[in-house]
Amino acid sequence: MIARRQLLALILAAAAACGRPAPSEPAAPAEARVISLVPAATEMLFAIGAGADMVAVSSFDRYPPEVERLPRVGALIDPDFERILSLRPTLVVVYASQDELIARLGAASVPVYQYVHAAEGALAHIPRTMRELGQLLGREAAAEEAAGAIEGAIERIRQQVAGRERVRTAVVFGREAGALRGIWVAGGVGFLHEALEAAGGGNVFADIRREGLQASTELMLARAPDVIIEIRTSGGVDASPLEAWGRLAAIPATRTGRIYELTDPLFSIPGPRIVEIVRTFARVLHGDEVVAAAGP
Amino acid sequence: MLLQATDVAFSYHRHAIRRGVPVPLVLRGISVVVPHGSVVGLLGPNGSGKTTLLKVLSGTLAPTAGTILLDGTPLGSYSRRALARRLAVVPQDTHTAFDYTVLDMVLMGRYAWLGPFELEGPDDRDAALAALEATGTSHLASRLFPTLSGGEKQRVVIASALAQLDIRNGLRAGSSETRRPLLFLDEPTASLDLRYQLECATLLERLHEQHDVTMVLSTHDLRLVQAICDSVVLLREGRVLAAGPTAEVLSPAAVSALYDVDTPLVEQLLA
Amino acid sequence: MMLLRRRRTIVIAGLASTLVAVVLAPFAGSTSIAVARVFDPSVPFADNLDAQIFFLARLPRALAAAVVGGTLAAAGVVFQGLLQNPLTTPYTLGVSAGASLGAMCAITFGAWLPFGTVTAASLAGAGLAVFIVYALARARHRGISTTVLLLAGVTLNAFFSALILFVQYVSDFAQTFRAIRWLMGDLDVAGYATLGAAAPLLLVAFAVFAWIARPLDLLTLGADAAASRGVDVTTVQRAAFFSASLATGAAVSIAGPIGFVGIIVPHLVRLVVGADHRIVLPAATCLGATFLVLCDTIARTVLAPLELPVGIITAVIGGPFFLWLLLRAR
Repeated sequence: MIARRQLLALILAAAAACGRPAPSEPAAPAEARVISLVPAATEMLFAIGAGADMVAVSSFDRYPPEVERLPRVGALIDPDFERILSLRPTLVVVYASQDELIARLGAASVPVYQYVHAAEGALAHIPRTMRELGQLLGREAAAEEAAGAIEGAIERIRQQVAGRERVRTAVVFGREAGALRGIWVAGGVGFLHEALEAAGGGNVFADIRREGLQASTELMLARAPDVIIEIRTSGGVDASPLEAWGRLAAIPATRTGRIYELTDPLFSIPGPRIVEIVRTFARVLHGDEVVAAAGP
Repeated sequence: MLLQATDVAFSYHRHAIRRGVPVPLVLRGISVVVPHGSVVGLLGPNGSGKTTLLKVLSGTLAPTAGTILLDGTPLGSYSRRALARRLAVVPQDTHTAFDYTVLDMVLMGRYAWLGPFELEGPDDRDAALAALEATGTSHLASRLFPTLSGGEKQRVVIASALAQLDIRNGLRAGSSETRRPLLFLDEPTASLDLRYQLECATLLERLHEQHDVTMVLSTHDLRLVQAICDSVVLLREGRVLAAGPTAEVLSPAAVSALYDVDTPLVEQLLA
Repeated sequence: MMLLRRRRTIVIAGLASTLVAVVLAPFAGSTSIAVARVFDPSVPFADNLDAQIFFLARLPRALAAAVVGGTLAAAGVVFQGLLQNPLTTPYTLGVSAGASLGAMCAITFGAWLPFGTVTAASLAGAGLAVFIVYALARARHRGISTTVLLLAGVTLNAFFSALILFVQYVSDFAQTFRAIRWLMGDLDVAGYATLGAAAPLLLVAFAVFAWIARPLDLLTLGADAAASRGVDVTTVQRAAFFSASLATGAAVSIAGPIGFVGIIVPHLVRLVVGADHRIVLPAATCLGATFLVLCDTIARTVLAPLELPVGIITAVIGGPFFLWLLLRAR
């Protein structure tokens, strides 16, 4: 796993080097035509002020609202190569795992940025990716500003919750509606885990080194979280999550009613809005005043 | 009269008939009588409708037209179960998807005598053992059916049919007429070698004589017909070409007309 | 004929093994629980974590494994008898594909479906598949044609699989992941409500199984031969098809399409007790129940605290065994 991650990092570095325009031709932002197949990267591109350069996005992009006017050119498993090529992009942001697309774009001499989904160090990965994109597009200053703002905001929340007791929390991101079945929770790596820890929570599944796992009834009972944060970005909506969880009375969260439902799709995207995720978690775990004290 | 078929026709295209569409008939205008205690042979070339006629006479298929009476009652008014207690069928060959023992196979013949959730009792076991005894297959009882030879299988399936008809009743003096068993056999000797053919013929003759089993059998075997059939029905293209006592009907001329072969050749066969 | 005493011994041994498995399985698990505290009446149940783990997590799960395993094995026996083919599984006729499609739809489009839960949706999908296959098998035949049934089932399986792929294609990553996990089978029912809801359906199915056990023996001789021995062939075929399909649908809606139980258990049982359905059915039910309880106990302990999908365990055991059967059958 580690080896694979290192390998991916190397590929990323190499790709970034390849994708960078030659020094003799300074990048002119006005000419840039950017396509992103990665929703998180799309948000980053807008955050660093490259929104006007975007010519197409993936079929899963929903944010920012400006993407709605852009053409869709597929996603991870179904990129539309011809469409991408016909838009004459100067940079295409793809998933590092899209080997075939990368090879074909390479053959067509289209610059590519390979986006790596980082499970470990996910929070630091977001500003780092933004800076890399900024370099590629000649927007270093804007990228630095946006990335620095993210780092600063998260750090301030960290400091606010530093003295407080960590709240034992389970982050549930999937569950059958109306039942306690198919419960998917955030494990000990990934942006949800790191956001939770940054917000002063203690992930009850931190010891399981996976981004997500299916938690059995027994595991939920045994880990006994004080708070359950349910993220529902798609699929069935429960009339009352409290009622569903109430069947497991031994879980402290069900007794105190500290079960929170978060339905914004932003909770599934490790992009610049990670700050909002951390803030929301902190608000749920420690109250509004913590977030207010941390400032904007 | 045990079984009487009058002006029977049959077609496999049932839906077409309901819609009034003209359909090819496999059997047309067939009338057959089977007196009890008789052995009736059905003769005819391949595709003449012998197997279909056996299925129609035994109630497996319902006739498209005409009537079939068993003891004066229409065949269609018997329930499956009631019919199975009166008549049994030995098909040309029998395969099983699973490994049943010979005794299992014979006991399956007792189905019609049992209630929905009933297991076979001592009486059924007696009937099965008697049937094994009558067919000379007692020694095979615990063998797996698929491991038997063709001739052994044939005799076991006949035993199953006898268990179904309960031949023990046939043995009893003064048994009521409606308990007289009726056995249908579809080409019983077709896939057997000479020795088993002879054994089979002997077995059928013995069943007829000792156990008072009335039989209707289809066959290509002229010698078998000569040996055990009281009467024959000659079938050709779904119609009765000739019918009557074996000695009268089974003339070289009739047989040669039936099969489209030279008369002298048939004379040799019938000699 | 199998002696009555031997039949009774087999059934009692089967029931005993199932009972032992269901009672013992809850004592194993990913967490260590204090057994003394589980049965301590002085601690209120709401505060008794050990008791809740035992009675709300493990025991219903062991029961679900027994119910699903027994049902799949029995349905396998009935389908094999109906189609006169020992290589038939409960999933051959498309029931599980229908159930899976229903579940996929519920996972992906849950917000827009009228019925809430994945279980209900998969049961509805199974019902749809049963209806289509039956309508096809009836259309061209008096009674049911087993050949048409088989072909319709295989075709429907392929068609529904394509629809499942389509649903997965339009769903997002998280949904696809959940959907794939559902297909691997999961017996964590978290309480008794699901089992209670399935019970009436399964009771009816098993009552029908008991009634058709003997006719199934005769059906394996062929439809005409069975009819001439007094079997009402069409009624029995219809009863076998609907009871086994609905039982399979219920089992799959509870636990997902757990593979191999419905084929290896009937075969193992036949090797030991012979072919008579009246003993094969109860024996297969008991062995299937015991087998799945064991598989699920392995599934939830071997990688604790993570869980292996139970379908993987049954496949790892069942796949090689099935190949061995194929080679042996020659």
